[in-house]
Amino acid sequence: MRGTMRRLKILTWVVGTSFLLILPWLIPTRMHVAVIALYYAILASSWALLAGYGGQFSFAHMAFAGLGAYTAGLIDKFIRLTTAPTYACTEFPLGSWWLVIQDTASPTCLEKAKATMPMGALIVKLPAWMDILMGVVVGGLFGLLIGALVLRLRRTYLALFTIAFAEILRTAINAERDITGGPGGLKLSPLFPNGVTLLGHEFTAADKLPPYLVMLGLFLLVMALMYWLAGSRFGLFIRAIREDEEAAGSLGVDVVRYKILLFTITAMIAAAAGGMYAHYVRVIAPNMMVIKEMSVVIAMAVIGGMESLLGAAIGAIIIEFALEQLRSNITIGAFTLNMADWRLVVFGALLMITLRFWGNGLIHPIIQRITRRGVAEETVAKRLQPRAATEPEDDTRVKIPASPLEPDP
Amino acid sequence: MIQLEVNDVSKQFGGLLAVNHVSFQVQGPELIGLIGPNGAGKTTLTNLLSGALKPSSGTIYMNGQRIDVLPPYKIAKVGLGRTFQVTRAFRRMTVLENLLVPALAMHPTARQAQFVKKAREVAEFLTIDHLLNEYARALSGGQQKLLELGRLLMLDPDFIILDEPFAGVHPRLMEIIYEYIIETNKQGKAFLIISHDMETIFTLSQRLLVMAFGKLIADGPPEEVKRDPAVIEAYLGSDSDKPWQPERKTPPAAGDRIAA
Repeated sequence: MRGTMRRLKILTWVVGTSFLLILPWLIPTRMHVAVIALYYAILASSWALLAGYGGQFSFAHMAFAGLGAYTAGLIDKFIRLTTAPTYACTEFPLGSWWLVIQDTASPTCLEKAKATMPMGALIVKLPAWMDILMGVVVGGLFGLLIGALVLRLRRTYLALFTIAFAEILRTAINAERDITGGPGGLKLSPLFPNGVTLLGHEFTAADKLPPYLVMLGLFLLVMALMYWLAGSRFGLFIRAIREDEEAAGSLGVDVVRYKILLFTITAMIAAAAGGMYAHYVRVIAPNMMVIKEMSVVIAMAVIGGMESLLGAAIGAIIIEFALEQLRSNITIGAFTLNMADWRLVVFGALLMITLRFWGNGLIHPIIQRITRRGVAEETVAKRLQPRAATEPEDDTRVKIPASPLEPDP
Repeated sequence: MIQLEVNDVSKQFGGLLAVNHVSFQVQGPELIGLIGPNGAGKTTLTNLLSGALKPSSGTIYMNGQRIDVLPPYKIAKVGLGRTFQVTRAFRRMTVLENLLVPALAMHPTARQAQFVKKAREVAEFLTIDHLLNEYARALSGGQQKLLELGRLLMLDPDFIILDEPFAGVHPRLMEIIYEYIIETNKQGKAFLIISHDMETIFTLSQRLLVMAFGKLIADGPPEEVKRDPAVIEAYLGSDSDKPWQPERKTPPAAGDRIAA
C-alpha cells in the first residue's frame, strides 16, 4: 500500500511537471496568464500551509508578497555596484566593488559622479535574483516579527491584526511617494535585461518563455520544500497546533517556536513570489496588496482545498485561467454582460457554493479519495479479525511497551 | 524517584480564588485520587501543574526543578503529562499521527520511522490498533480517551494527571483504562486522577486529595478521608452526622479482576 502510494506521488510529480513544461507549446498566446497563474499558485499553496495546515488564518500574505516585490523594486531603483568609489553617494566597500545607494537626498549623485570616476569604471545594477533574495530576507524578518506579535491571537483576532498590518503597510507605501513612487508605482528592470539564450534560441527581455520557466522553477522548488516540511515533524507539529495548541504544548511541542517558524517560512515564500512577480510585470503599485487581492488568494486556496498544498495550487491555476477566460463579454438576446466586471461575481458565487457544500474544497477531496483509498476497508478487516486469537480471556493481553520512548535500534 | 512539591499555590481569577493556598507533596510512584464537588478547583490545580495556567502565588517543583515558571512543553519534557477533562485528540490527524506527536517532540533528532513500531504496540495495548490510519474524529468518545492515554504512553512522563478518565466511557473501555493505570503505575509512574466516579477512585487510589472551594481539605488514605468531618461536610452538608459513603455508580469489574 505504501509502495503504491509512493509510486503514485512520484507519477503525479512527473506528470504535473511535464504538463507545466510543455504548457508554453500548448498555449503560446496565453503565456502571461500562465506566469500569473503560477504566481498565484505559489501564494495560494503557501497560504494553505499557513492557514490550512497551521491554522493561522492570516490576511497578511499579500503584504509579505508586496514586501518582497518592493524590496526588489527599491534595490533595483536605488542600489548600484561600482568598481570605483563615487565620493558623491552613500557607499560601502564590498571587496573590490562598492555598494552605492542613490538615496532620495541625492538622487542624481551617480550621474554627477560619472564625470569624476576613472575611465572604464563599471556601474551595474544588482542581478534580479539578488534583489529577489533580499526581498525574501526582508519578508522573513517581517514574518518573524508578525509571528512573534500574533502568538497569543487566535481566529478573528489574528485575522483582524493581519488585516491591520497589511493595510498599514499598503498605506505607508502609498504615502511615501519619494521612495516607493506612491500610487503611481515603482518601475523595475526585467528578469533578463539583456535577453537570454535557451537551447540555442535567443529570447529578448520582453519574451514570456524565460520568465515562465523561472516562475515554474520557483513554483516547483517551493512545492518540494513545502511537501518536505509538511511530511516532516514540522508538518506534524503545526497540524497538532492547529488542532489544539494547549494539548500540543502538553505533549512537548514548542508551540511558540513552530508558530513563528511557520509565519517566517510562509512569509519568505510569499516574498519570493512577490519579488519574481515584480521583475516580471516591471511595474508594481500598492494595489497589489489590497484586501481584494488577498481575498482572491484565499478563495483560490479554499476552492482548491485549504488542507492540501497541491489542491490549493491546482485551484489557483484553474481559477486564474478561468477568470481570464471569463473576460469575454456574453450576449444574451438584447443584453450584453460585461464579464470583466461580472466574472468576480461568478467567482464569489463559486466560493460561497464551495464553502457551503464542500468545506474541504473541490480538489482536496479528490486527492483524499486517491491517497486514502482502502483505509476504511483495512480498518473494517482489522476490526473483524478475532482479537481473542491473540488475546485470551485472562490477563495476558499485550503489556505496555516497557520503554515506549526508546527508539528502535 | 519522582518528586513533586506543590508549595502554597494559589490562583485568582478576578475576585474568585479558584485555588487557595494548596500544598502537597508526592514522593515516588503514588496513585493519588483528587476529588471534590464541582467548582472545587481540581481542574484549575491540574492546569497549574501542567503549565496551562500560571499560579498567582506559590511554587511547584518537580524532581528538584521549579516548573511553575516553565511553558507547558518544557514541563512535559521535565516529565509531567496530562489528559484533559474534555477529550482533546487531534481530530483531523490520524491515530498514528496523534501517537507520533509526543514521541517526536521528546526526541528532536530521532526519525519518525523509529517510533512507528512503538506506536503500533501502544495502540495494540489500548485495543485501537485497527484504527491507526483513521482520523481521530472517526473514533468514539471512549476510543478518543484511549488515544489520549496512548499519547501519554508515547510521551512517557514520570507523573501523569488524568482528568476524568472514566467519564462517559463504556465499561469495557473503562476496564482497559483501569488496567492502563495499574500497569503504568507498576512501571514506576505516579498518577493524579480526578474523577467523579467515587467507587472507582476509592478502589483505585492509594491516597486521596479532597478539594472544596479551592482549598485542600483532606489528604490521606481513602478509608481515613471517608471519615474526615471536613469531607463529610463538603459532600453532605454540615447537618449530616453519617459517615460518607461514595455512591456506587458502575461495577468496578476491572478493579475486581486485577485485585484478584
